[in-house]
Amino acid sequence: MAAVEALNITHRYGRVTALDDISFNVNEGELFGFIGPDGAGKTTLFRIAATLIIPAGGRMTLFGLNTVSRYRELRNHIGYMPGRFSLYQDLTVEENLNFYATIFGTTIKENYHLIELIYKQIEPFRKRQAGRLSGGMKQKLALSCALIHKPGILILDEPTTGVDAVSRTEFWEMLANLKSEGITIIVSTPYMDEALRCDRIALIQKGKLLAIDTPFNIRSSYARKLYAVSHPDRYRLLIALRSLPQVITSEPFGDSVHVVLRDDVLPPEVKKALEETGLHGVSIAGTMPGIEDVFLELMQKEQ
Amino acid sequence: MKRLLFLLKKEFRQIIRNPFMLRAIIGVPLLQMLILVPAVTFEIKRLDLAVADNDRSPDSRELISKLTGSLFFRSAAAPLNMADAEAMLFSGDADMVLVIPDDFSEGLAGITTPRLQVLVDAVNATQAMLGWSYLTSIVRDYNREVIMARGAATSAIPGISTSPRYWYNPTLNYKYFMLPGILVILIIAIGLMLAGLNLVKELETGTLEQINVTPVRRWELIVSKVIPFFIFGLLDLALGLGVGWIAFNIPFEGSLLLFFGCSAIFLLAVLGLALFLSTLASNRQQYLFVAFFFTMVFILMSGIFTPTESMPGWAQQFNWVNPVAYLMRINRMVMLKGAGFHDIARDVGMLTVLAIAFITLAIRAYRKRA
Repeated sequence: MAAVEALNITHRYGRVTALDDISFNVNEGELFGFIGPDGAGKTTLFRIAATLIIPAGGRMTLFGLNTVSRYRELRNHIGYMPGRFSLYQDLTVEENLNFYATIFGTTIKENYHLIELIYKQIEPFRKRQAGRLSGGMKQKLALSCALIHKPGILILDEPTTGVDAVSRTEFWEMLANLKSEGITIIVSTPYMDEALRCDRIALIQKGKLLAIDTPFNIRSSYARKLYAVSHPDRYRLLIALRSLPQVITSEPFGDSVHVVLRDDVLPPEVKKALEETGLHGVSIAGTMPGIEDVFLELMQKEQ
Repeated sequence: MKRLLFLLKKEFRQIIRNPFMLRAIIGVPLLQMLILVPAVTFEIKRLDLAVADNDRSPDSRELISKLTGSLFFRSAAAPLNMADAEAMLFSGDADMVLVIPDDFSEGLAGITTPRLQVLVDAVNATQAMLGWSYLTSIVRDYNREVIMARGAATSAIPGISTSPRYWYNPTLNYKYFMLPGILVILIIAIGLMLAGLNLVKELETGTLEQINVTPVRRWELIVSKVIPFFIFGLLDLALGLGVGWIAFNIPFEGSLLLFFGCSAIFLLAVLGLALFLSTLASNRQQYLFVAFFFTMVFILMSGIFTPTESMPGWAQQFNWVNPVAYLMRINRMVMLKGAGFHDIARDVGMLTVLAIAFITLAIRAYRKRA
């Protein structure tokens, strides 16, 4: 049985269509990522999954339970972590955790093994009020509170937004660990590099799904030959590349620039053309496309 | 049921931890009672009376000394002429100007008709009317004395003498009238303001949404919000009543149980209203504005200052749904007159209906699938 089944989900806010005919399945025990820019509809989709809003059209089931008609049962099995920190800032770390454990009819002790790795890091501050924690610690507390009732599914809305790079890496390690406990996780993020850590990802843009597949397959779906061009002065390089007639697209990617060349053009030709504009020592080599490359390609296709 | 206990524990913990809440819960009743009760008064004392005495006779001086000798008037500088008198009224140096014409004593002697002119600053109509009536009653007394002094037989002047006995508030102490009303305002401050803000805060900070994803039921959440403020509201009422008793020696003729029982019903109505209004607001600022508006209208129309019977018909109609008006009446009846339940049964009944209506409205509006 699929952990999540969404069929033709549509939602509107006034005249704005937030979600447009979205269908997908998430398997049990899967770490499933929604990748897309701000305003793509990720939060709306997650709020529907968390039984907080009723979709205008379509239906969604979690573990076979409809999010609209069976919401009450479902709420025992959902761990939801909204994008904004939503615990009680005036309660301490321990009080927050204890509160969420008790209203689910369980105790911290009973499910401590689930949160141990995460909670251990904030336990020294258990007497501190949640509002006085750092961003990374708040996020760990929120995850602990979402987990304390041993949910079957974790719904994490942009959990790493506004969190430092080290905490982000740690967080994804924790998710991998939870996955090994058999918990299904759906997570959204605007960071493309985090997508690689998911089992499968869905690319979402303006309320529409552009693609759903494993990160590898998504990257492989890139139709054209991609080259990584690099030069210490990346800005000048980008300007120069965009002025060349041989280059179809050029997008900055990490330290380099990812370019697609016209079919009849070979890399040395480009290098030569760049040298003519005064850029020497440019390296150019074939590369594996990143998620961004696919995203941008799909976006352009959509338009 | 167990979940409700956990929710309540959390609620009390948050209230007690919040230094503002504690200060408000203890400070509001103390300040309201000690400041509002003595300050909000309609007793008019010490109006500034300027006398333009153009007669300068023993008669006019006697009249002036009678006026300024009373508690109601304080003599202001004497104006020299009409223009001066008008200037004093305009600047506020005088509230009233008494002009004694130069033929005043001649008039008293029967040569002409004695006349007096009174100019009153009527910006504050109540003050003007009261000042006028104080002044005329003193002039009337003076007039009677003059007639008697002239040797006219008392029987020749058919005067009806009335001697009032003021019931329920024999000393006409305005504080006794105000205090029961201030106690009502006290409950509103806790029930409508604090409770409502607490609810909207949960919405604003997103904690409500987090609670909504748990198995916590709607009624459990609502009850967990109502109970703490219900308790604090009644505690505050006891505190306010204690302050009134110690500081102003307020009489309490009726039954304490009846008094607290009625206030409890009122508090439930107010909490229901707070809950309902909180569903209309999306942040604390909005809530505060709406709650302030309701509080103002309810209090000003309740009859706390002016009798509801003298309000226009539509205002009296409005008071059918004004819980403050009912409790205002009940409190005064119970505290000052010692009314029993059967005396106020109708008001208690209406208040109960309102409480049920507001709470029902709130629960229906609270369709957030909690």
